Amino acid sequence: MRRGPLVRSRWFEDIPIGEFHVFGEYTFSEKAIVDFGKRYAPQTYHADPEAAFDSPYRGLIASGWHLCAVWMRMMVDYMERYAQGVQDGRRNGAGVGFTEMRWLKPVRPGHTLTFTHEIISKSDKIVRDKWGIIRSRNEAFNQYGELVFSFDIDILAERRPDDAEPGKESV
Amino acid sequence: MKRFGDFHEGECIALGPYVVSEREIVAFASQYDPQAMHTDPEAAKMSPMGELIASGWHTCAMAMRMLCDAFILQSTSVAAPGVEQIRWLSPVRPGDTLSGECRIINTRRSASKPDRGIVRAEVAVNNQHGVQVLAMQTTALYLV
Repeated sequence: MRRGPLVRSRWFEDIPIGEFHVFGEYTFSEKAIVDFGKRYAPQTYHADPEAAFDSPYRGLIASGWHLCAVWMRMMVDYMERYAQGVQDGRRNGAGVGFTEMRWLKPVRPGHTLTFTHEIISKSDKIVRDKWGIIRSRNEAFNQYGELVFSFDIDILAERRPDDAEPGKESV
Repeated sequence: MKRFGDFHEGECIALGPYVVSEREIVAFASQYDPQAMHTDPEAAKMSPMGELIASGWHTCAMAMRMLCDAFILQSTSVAAPGVEQIRWLSPVRPGDTLSGECRIINTRRSASKPDRGIVRAEVAVNNQHGVQVLAMQTTALYLV
């Protein structure tokens, strides 16, 4: 079994609104699309390359939920690189939920998406005593520069305890 | 084949059951969400939740599979432009049995594409204890 890393991040207070990140690129293979489709979204246009030609899409396209899963992987990998050296893995929290997810253009085998992430707001609400809520806008563009995927997600970030110094990484 | 005209406001479609194995949680997360709380039962004890839980995106994927099995595969579904909102309300754990319902909120014909209709629905997924784990509002297009 693979020992997965914990995503590490900063205190809620240290994450600035407007901060923009490019997570990176991912190319969707036919195999990855079909593997995901067969398991979780077995409509012909996600799961069967032959039958997909008779669908309204005239070929295989990735499930919207596959785009979500790949987005998550891009974020995990990016945050691992971004936060290298931070020892405390407990500062990131769970996702609370998302809004306005848009699947705007079909993603076909061979398409390469570039995933971007922008901090758009921070809530004043305090969750379970120690978490704040960070909202980010997440977008993906295909190799033609077209926006194909967009959503806003709320993720918990731990608030800095009173005894911690601003910006300082502590255990 | 369930067509656009077969969906009715207030209609409730049962989802599941879907049994969630530790193996499936780890397999999904190893590929798409490799954080210890989703991939490693031992290391997950050190995570904020204190135990292995499914990736939230895995929960979404399982909900999609339940929707497919309940009616989408036997429908004229052609597209889903998106999802209005999702809330991950409670963690999904190994051994959970998920079930739920899809309630049709409203239906209307597409103004731009007369061969299609738009169905908005609210999806609730619960675990075996009756605790809701996922709430989702969806929009999907069906041929009339």
